[in-house]
Amino acid sequence: MDMVAGAGGMFGQLAVGLAGGFMGDQLIPGNMRMSQKMSTKPTIDSLPDKVLLRIFSYLPHKEVVENSLVNKKWHMIAQDPRLWVFVSLRPDISGLHVERAETLTKLIPTKFKELKYLEITTELITPHVLQDLAKYCLQLSHLYLDFSQASQLHDFTDLSAFPTRLRYMCICLSDVIFLDNFMKRIYSFINGLEVLHIVGTYENAEDEEGEVYEVINIKILKQATPNLRVISLYGIAFLDDSHIEAFSSNCIQLQVLNVNYCSRVKGASLKILLQRCKNLKCLLLQQTSLESEHVMTAEWDKVTNLQELDITATDVSKECLLEMLPRIPAIRWLSAGQLDGFTDTVLKTWMETANLKELTALDLDSSDNLSEDAIQAFLNVFGPQLVGLSLSGMPHVTDTLWIEILPKLSNARILVLGCSTRMSVKVHVDHLIDGIARHCSKVERVEFRWDNDTLRFSDKNQKAIDLIRTRCTKLQCFVLSDGRLYEIMRGNFERADRKAVVRTTIACRVTLHYLLKHYQEMLFA
Amino acid sequence: MPTIKLQSSDGEVFPVDVEIAKQSVTIKTMLDDLGMEDEEEEIVPLPNVNAAILKKVIQWATYHKDDPPAPEDDENKEKRTDDITSWDADFLKVDQGTLFELILASNYLDIKGLLDVTCKTVANMIKGKTPEEIRKTFNIKNDFTPSEEEQVRKENEWCEEK
Repeated sequence: MDMVAGAGGMFGQLAVGLAGGFMGDQLIPGNMRMSQKMSTKPTIDSLPDKVLLRIFSYLPHKEVVENSLVNKKWHMIAQDPRLWVFVSLRPDISGLHVERAETLTKLIPTKFKELKYLEITTELITPHVLQDLAKYCLQLSHLYLDFSQASQLHDFTDLSAFPTRLRYMCICLSDVIFLDNFMKRIYSFINGLEVLHIVGTYENAEDEEGEVYEVINIKILKQATPNLRVISLYGIAFLDDSHIEAFSSNCIQLQVLNVNYCSRVKGASLKILLQRCKNLKCLLLQQTSLESEHVMTAEWDKVTNLQELDITATDVSKECLLEMLPRIPAIRWLSAGQLDGFTDTVLKTWMETANLKELTALDLDSSDNLSEDAIQAFLNVFGPQLVGLSLSGMPHVTDTLWIEILPKLSNARILVLGCSTRMSVKVHVDHLIDGIARHCSKVERVEFRWDNDTLRFSDKNQKAIDLIRTRCTKLQCFVLSDGRLYEIMRGNFERADRKAVVRTTIACRVTLHYLLKHYQEMLFA
Repeated sequence: MPTIKLQSSDGEVFPVDVEIAKQSVTIKTMLDDLGMEDEEEEIVPLPNVNAAILKKVIQWATYHKDDPPAPEDDENKEKRTDDITSWDADFLKVDQGTLFELILASNYLDIKGLLDVTCKTVANMIKGKTPEEIRKTFNIKNDFTPSEEEQVRKENEWCEEK
């Protein structure tokens, strides 16, 4: 084999050498000069359009547009509809800014005809735009309608068409703009929807005193959308149990229900929801006003498919937790932080009486009534099966406890540690980082929530960071508070060309939500 | 472990583990069509890839032989370019000509992983540059007349910055 390769090489040299002419014993340099000349190196112009298109697909849209000025070929590629499949026209959320609906209607039949995913805001949501989307964009499956900044809607009286192949739709509400006139026109087109997101104004609600208007009629909407699998109603001020009941009566295929931050939800609908929606896998009730008596009347022992539950920051009592948690047949993902009722007794009872074979993710953020001993006892048994663990927000859970439990967490992919309130004790991070590197080789995301002043590290620090960098090759995100340690870690990872890994808590948060089965659909992206 | 012989455009022959070579869909299809007969004897000519580049491609494929299959394109709203592994980044510290040769080779051989990472590398070289800087970086000639250029500028106004 080597013979053949050698011979081939020799012939090649000989041939070129001959062609190079009378170079005599300077055959080799001559050969090099010739071959450079004969096989001119390719340039970016040598790339086929298909490849240039692929390169462009990695660029943000704004740059694609700008690059059309480079030359004629680049101009042509930049127009290719295949680059315009996922388009956001929400300028506030880093999308492109298209000012006028007329401009958009010109683009829809040409550049945008392959659209699958589109985000638009009030000014661009006109009958003309929607009808053209229906007519030209036959692939359009995701539509994001952002009314959050609306002061007035267009007139939809004459709306005669709407994209009919939508599977995903998201509507961002405004506090004061009633959408019923618009919704009335589209009900007949949206019965194929499988995923519906309605985003309320929780995040920009400043005056809690203001009147709450029911700006979208959920009870009619549910009749138009019998095929929903995923319903996410986030931070909607007016949403209450009657709306959940409405959906549960009509959407029997429901797998995911998220009503996080809907403060009027008290849980009176849970009983009916759990009875009717037998496929329900995921129920997120964070920061709702759950009342223990409602929660306790629901038949938790019959929800054989329920795997994921979020009851963080609700008011459920210790008795309620003792009653409900052990009854859930096969929980996989539980977020039960910020609950005064989550005590050592609850944890102990849960671990002794519930079926936790499937448990892989647990968030116990700010559980002030849990002792270190109880947590450690729990993790001694269940640590090895956990893929995600968050013990944030507890001043008493420090590096001492983590060092004890890390050897148990060999399957962890997500870890959230630390407490952002100023603490009297210091946390020594070197052996913590070292411990993660040694025991959690599968880890992908880590967050240290400790304040910069709480973190202590020594000159062994670089060694520990080197170790986590080389051992945890799947690590894609390490979040910590801005400060010295952040600078040091970022520098270390940057030198190894892993720039994006280390981030600050301002830019990024780690949660266990990545581990939800329907995470992608929850994101609406 | 069975091997096959790949022959570069300039005649050099490289014996390669079949499983490694099959990361190239082009070679895989060829082998599947031919049916893997009593191994060894067949030489696969690759007229579009010279020895220097073929050597690099084999080096890349050998390192990545146990990778899971590259994810399908599309369906991803924002494509990341900051996720190039440090081994790949080192591997691609080459002059532009070699980088483009690698792209052409991975395109011809249909090796998605290598094509992805090389295209990402080029995208990173483009990112954040003005059209003029891009022309300079890649030695591209501006073939617009001033009036054509003005027209494109107008055309681009639809998404002016806010």
